Amino acid sequence: MADRQAFMASIRRALGRDAPGASVQPPSETALSLDPADLDARARAAANDASERSDELMDALARSAASAGWKVARVSTLEEAAGYIRSAALDVEAKTVVRSAHELLDSMGIDAALANVGIRAETMTAGDESGREALRETAFHAEMGVTGADYAIAETGSVALLARAEVSRLVALLPPAHVAVVERAIVLPSLDELFTLRRGAFYDGNLGSYMNIITGPSRSADIEQTLVTGVHGPGEVHMVLLE
Amino acid sequence: MKPKTGDFNRAAASALADADVQRNMRGLYDGFHMARERAAEATPNWEDLRDRARAVKAHTIEYLDHYLGMAAENVERAGGKVFFAKDADEASRYILDLAAARGVKTVIKSKSMLSEEMGLNARLEEAGVEPVETDLGEYLIQLRGETPYHIVAPALHLSKEQVADLLQEEIGGPRYERAEDLTAAAREQLRGKFFEADMGITGANFLVAETGTLVLVTNEGNGRMCTSMPKVHVAIMGMEKVVPSMEDMGMFLRLLIRSATGQRLSSYVTLVNGVRRDDDVDGPEEFHLVVVDNGRSKMLADPALREALYCLRCGACLNACPVYRKVGGHSYGWVYSGPIGAVVSPMLTSLPDAKDLPYASSLCGACREVCPVRIDIPRMLLHMRSDLAEGGPHSGSPRASLAERLTMKAWRLAVARPWMLRLANRLARLAQRPLVKDGRLRKLPPPLSAWTRHRTFPAVASRPFRDRWRSELRKSRRDG
Ligand code: SF4
Repeated sequence: MADRQAFMASIRRALGRDAPGASVQPPSETALSLDPADLDARARAAANDASERSDELMDALARSAASAGWKVARVSTLEEAAGYIRSAALDVEAKTVVRSAHELLDSMGIDAALANVGIRAETMTAGDESGREALRETAFHAEMGVTGADYAIAETGSVALLARAEVSRLVALLPPAHVAVVERAIVLPSLDELFTLRRGAFYDGNLGSYMNIITGPSRSADIEQTLVTGVHGPGEVHMVLLE
Repeated sequence: MKPKTGDFNRAAASALADADVQRNMRGLYDGFHMARERAAEATPNWEDLRDRARAVKAHTIEYLDHYLGMAAENVERAGGKVFFAKDADEASRYILDLAAARGVKTVIKSKSMLSEEMGLNARLEEAGVEPVETDLGEYLIQLRGETPYHIVAPALHLSKEQVADLLQEEIGGPRYERAEDLTAAAREQLRGKFFEADMGITGANFLVAETGTLVLVTNEGNGRMCTSMPKVHVAIMGMEKVVPSMEDMGMFLRLLIRSATGQRLSSYVTLVNGVRRDDDVDGPEEFHLVVVDNGRSKMLADPALREALYCLRCGACLNACPVYRKVGGHSYGWVYSGPIGAVVSPMLTSLPDAKDLPYASSLCGACREVCPVRIDIPRMLLHMRSDLAEGGPHSGSPRASLAERLTMKAWRLAVARPWMLRLANRLARLAQRPLVKDGRLRKLPPPLSAWTRHRTFPAVASRPFRDRWRSELRKSRRDG
């Protein structure tokens, strides 16, 4: 606490103030000036707008995702989605696929679809310490990770994944290939709606510990500005759009 | 890393003469710079975003104590710890103590300019802790024992061949040629470290005050590794990185990323809120945020330099700068380079030791043109020049040199008196006679010789403009 008081005092000295800013009025440029009480309404309006424009948004997402480096597949049924994932896993000669516990994946019978072709599917869920270690090992050696998504963003071609009880941070990180399954209902027009919803989650008390916004494959241009994919994260990424 | 900011002229000359460096820098304009241009063009209301972001940064910096306090409370509410460090040493000591208390042997690190500024790796090594840089470019310069060449692309100056030699020496095995294979080799080398490490250290692109959210922007995925694998996550952050609201992030991410690389979004934007929750599958058990001043309050205290703290570290001003693109990052002698480095480095180290940096610019304004938060770097460089010349508060000396003061005094006297100016003119015409060739002065005597080392100077005209003006005027009256 002493560190904090001294630090703040020196900032105020530098700013030529001797007391904390009595009442700080956020200017209209920052969203902090927008009353959190309206957040719900704004978030709902954003979601409604998105559902009305969902055809257009799905098309826009497919385009922006492809240009961000995702392999985009548009499928109309759960079986088709499972079939796509199975053939993607076969393409990378997967022996083990790790997946999140997203309900969507349960309902498409992904485990059985993979087992049919001799691929082991391992669901990463919370466990004790030793269970966690074992899961890490599995994810480290898995050839592919499969997740649902919490949001997708048409503007940028991204999916957003929240880390929570059913969703490990590592499924979409450690294996060299990642498949994200995106339902129509979670597609948002732009980053702005995403952050309005996240701000709402904060005031509802369930922001959670972590969110990743993923836009295409892991990449680097650190050697002679030559683009290379698949550095520490997955180099091959698929977005399955479920119509 | 000891600053060598006083060595700009010599270092720049050697970079200019280095064909490899010149070749490796060539892609910067067509690459990053043009990508930024296209991205800005494609983003709706880009210019409004810049205005808004600038206003938000200005407000936040004006009430920095308020927003840092808000941020710290929210980080703590999410189970994190916050430490405020007045300088690099305090920040490093906090991290070293923590590492000792947790028995940390290996630290994995995600790219952080502040860590470079603090010289954190050296401190960790001294304490027997192995720091492993995991950003590919940062890993390469760590192996070479260098500072970053560019804010966004630390190993910009290295050729494939140099990287190949470096990696072969470090890892052994075959010598790879292609960027893909070199990257794969580094990946394999680093992958084990992610499992071994007991601590992950990251920087911070933003800290959202309202929610206590740390925001990290990366492309390779090492930032996600550092925030997911080890038991302890430490984020170090310059105090200026705080922004008010979660809902401001759309604006800031667009501006930062599109200005930096022209991508619509980087591969990974990671938002961290404290520690893993009880029922999370994974994530660190401890989260520490270290907020660092380390000389930033000098810029805060000077209203003319305060806007340097709005910087998002996007690197666009480096790519746009005709000086940076020629002299390269290491000429600036420390961690930060390019136009913003010329402002920030002297302030974070010492202006008298970095006297050349405010002059490492032609003041063409290209940096201001591209800066996502419209920082007026040329104005600040001029401010620092005059601080040096007039013995201002940053100059470290009570006043300018005697010679400079006398010259200026003589100048003021002469220009205010026509007869003196005429006399000076006549004397100059006489004195220059042996030096003039084709109307140009090719070699001036010291102290003016620096000017003519690389260029010529126009000779004083044989007929002063005043005389010509008068006779032209007379002629046109007569003819008219
Ligand atoms: S000064 Fe502006 S352009 Fe330069 S790095 Fe900072 S934000 Fe980017």
